[in-house]
Amino acid sequence: MMGEKLLFENVSKIYGEGDNKVIALDNISLNVKAGEFVAIVGPSGSGKSTFLSIAGALLSPSKGRLLLDDEDITTLSPKELTRVRLEKIGFVFQSSNLVPYLTVRDQLLLLSELLGKQDKKTVKKADELLSHLGLGHRANHLPEALSGGERQRVAIARSLMNDPEIILADEPTASLDSKRGRDVVEMLAHEVKSRNKAAIMVTHDERMLDLCDRVVNITDGKVFG
Amino acid sequence: MFLAIRELKHSKLRYLLIGLIMVLVALLVFIISGLANGLSSDNASSIQNMKADYFVMEHDSKNKLNRSIISMEKLDEIRASADVKAAEGLGQMMITLNKIGSSEKTDVTIFATDASGILAPKVIEGTNYDNKKQGEVVADRSLKEVGYKLGDSLKDDLSDKVFTIVGFTEKQSYSHSPVVYMNVKGWQEINPALKNQEKDSISTIAVQMDSKAEENVRESLPEGVTLISKEESLQSIPGYKEEQGTLKMMIAFLFVIAGFVLAVFFYVITLQKTNQFGVLKALGANTGYLAKSIVGQVMLLAVTCIAISVALTYGVTLIMPEGMPFELSADLVIKYSVLLLVVSVLGSLLSLYRVAKIDAIEAIGRVS
Ligand SMILES: Nc1ncnc2c1ncn2[C@@H]1O[C@H](COP(=O)(O)OP(=O)(O)O)[C@@H](O)[C@H]1O
Ligand SMILES: [Mg+2]
Repeated sequence: MMGEKLLFENVSKIYGEGDNKVIALDNISLNVKAGEFVAIVGPSGSGKSTFLSIAGALLSPSKGRLLLDDEDITTLSPKELTRVRLEKIGFVFQSSNLVPYLTVRDQLLLLSELLGKQDKKTVKKADELLSHLGLGHRANHLPEALSGGERQRVAIARSLMNDPEIILADEPTASLDSKRGRDVVEMLAHEVKSRNKAAIMVTHDERMLDLCDRVVNITDGKVFG
Repeated sequence: MFLAIRELKHSKLRYLLIGLIMVLVALLVFIISGLANGLSSDNASSIQNMKADYFVMEHDSKNKLNRSIISMEKLDEIRASADVKAAEGLGQMMITLNKIGSSEKTDVTIFATDASGILAPKVIEGTNYDNKKQGEVVADRSLKEVGYKLGDSLKDDLSDKVFTIVGFTEKQSYSHSPVVYMNVKGWQEINPALKNQEKDSISTIAVQMDSKAEENVRESLPEGVTLISKEESLQSIPGYKEEQGTLKMMIAFLFVIAGFVLAVFFYVITLQKTNQFGVLKALGANTGYLAKSIVGQVMLLAVTCIAISVALTYGVTLIMPEGMPFELSADLVIKYSVLLLVVSVLGSLLSLYRVAKIDAIEAIGRVS
């Protein structure tokens, strides 16, 4: 099964018990290949965040199996999941969520610091990533000095820093106007293709869908498309 | 420390303010303990410096020297014990002395002991008093500082006996009064408490012995006396316990305050950063890493603040007035510094608990 980066096998997620039971994901099977950019759409409350949390090793499924880069992560301990997130998953959050007191370069270096290997090479890599994403001149600036679009680009650079297998983006354009939002998604699509990564993006914005290879519609915890 | 140092640098004002509070609290700790020490020796240096480990007191004296009367024969019995390295009799009383030819009066504590025994004062000026000759005394140097000289004659108000200062000694105070040494005979003559006493008496017997021998010696004590340690003897000096107790309580409260102030400060900051910690955990930071970062910040802050206040403390001692009872040993500074550091780190535990509770999943599906 070469090329499969993420595989959902009959995954269900049920919150609560008894009368309060909510079936957030209902028997979902899905796979994302290397170089593939998948969009997840659906109405509010349909299970998109739950899906992304499970894909991001932040939440364990109630049923089913989850393979990331051919490794079954369904049964890993929280500690091992933290390591999986650090090494194999790149996150781009809704409002970039950069650390306010770190310069743009340090935002990236933090990822290698967490891996426990910070040296000249990682500094070079961070600078290359930044200039590649048009942020070279911003390397020593704090997030407060950046525009919303620049912050999301830093978040994309950060998500690529540890060479993840898959990138997960949670409504990355929510806080941007449509022009800048499109720029950011274009950049994300480009990086995914050129680096042969897999990527999943949750979005509300129909205008971005043409930039994705595949659109998956989730409604009431079920997948269509 | 990657995060810790960068955040300290970024939020300078915030950490400067808490640092200032820490410096002030630590400064207070050092100054009050310096005062406690200074007052302690101003109060009781004669006992603290005495070459004795234990004291034998009369049973019903409540450990008070002025109430204790022991017959001289007991001294020989104590000395006979194999566990006792040395022992010496000491007479004590508090009197008011009149300087002859002036209206000046001074409250002093009389210590009476063998001029050639282990309790004899170290004379720094003049000569020692004579065991045979009556009326010779050796006074603490503080009397000299208030105008007394060698050869001055002093009269005891009660007994009308006159004494002459033949020498000065130093670091001899008892219950905040200067100690005046004389021979046992002279003390027996002026002590009204001994009027009805037929036997040759003293107030206490100072004993040099190993603390391991305490049980042995206690069991073989003569009738009617008890054995107390030097520390117990200090505690029974009038005013000593109260004075030291108050200061020690203040110091203890300062440690508690230091711990609480840091705990609350870091807890509030941690609460503020809940979302940020959630994101960091989502990115792959484990609780241990974040905990180290917080403890690192606390330690960095505490060490810096403690160092500054140690420096300030020594600065303050330079501008203190001459007679101020202030004594601070390097030992104590180190001990209290370490304790402050420990208290600071304990204060950060609350934040660590909070961080451990934060769930990485909060980073997803959230607007900021
Ligand atoms: N922690 C939770 N506990 C209980 N129910 C939850 C929890 N998180 C989400 N849900 C429910 O699961 C369903 C899917 O939620 P979510 O994945 O957030 O959808 P979306 O992101 O598409 O809006 C909703 O009905 C929501 O109320
Ligand atoms: Mg959602």
